[in-house]
Amino acid sequence: MLKQAANTMNDDTGREIAIFTEAVKVPPQKRRAFLDDACGGDENLRRKVEALLKAHDRIGNFLEEPPSNGAL
Amino acid sequence: MSDATVLMTATHAGNAKAAEQLLVLVYDELRRLAASKLAHEAPGQTLQATALVHEAWLRLVGDQNRSFSNREHFFRASAEAMRRILIDKARRKHTVRHGGDYQRVDLEGFDLAAPASGDCLLALNEALDKFALEHPVQAELVKLRYFAGLTNEEVSEVMRISVSTVKNYWTFSRAWLLNEIESE
Repeated sequence: MLKQAANTMNDDTGREIAIFTEAVKVPPQKRRAFLDDACGGDENLRRKVEALLKAHDRIGNFLEEPPSNGAL
Repeated sequence: MSDATVLMTATHAGNAKAAEQLLVLVYDELRRLAASKLAHEAPGQTLQATALVHEAWLRLVGDQNRSFSNREHFFRASAEAMRRILIDKARRKHTVRHGGDYQRVDLEGFDLAAPASGDCLLALNEALDKFALEHPVQAELVKLRYFAGLTNEEVSEVMRISVSTVKNYWTFSRAWLLNEIESE
């Protein structure tokens, strides 16, 4: 599994996760500056992380409860 | 769980008695997985969890080509079996309701905490398939954490990654999946 992780997790994927993980800990007003710095000029990466941060801001309890009742 | 490993081997050699003993060994843990998967205290939950364990069990031992190298492997397979059972059920329900043809899933009223309805579960599963193509390790984590109801600590043990990595991946995965589901 770990070997697979190392193989499949290319640099972009690793960076996306790492930057997102750090960014959620940054206060909202400082995020822009953080992303400027972390993403450099990589607009594609930045767009991805920004979309994730938006989702994260309204995440609520998403997936925190197991599938229930109506599922079966 | 080395007893279980031996029994799994015997089970796959077609030893019915071994299968029975193995079920006793892993039953409680599987039962707990299924129960935690099926929401808290919902009416009829006990029956559902038991049914899910039995169905998962039949799939696991029914597959003659399958062998388990260790406990972690076994629980990964169980999580996958349970996920498939839930998805299959949701698909059947969906098909019946829509007269046999698949239609676009209406995500209005998507229950964020627990995509309880079959359609929401299907939408989640579709997003998860897509997620797995880009992020296979994190998708595996979602299956264990969400579909098998493992705790962060248990996922850490099964996937052999630190608990803090589990937490980071989980936060990332939830955001990714919500973004994907809502942008569909």
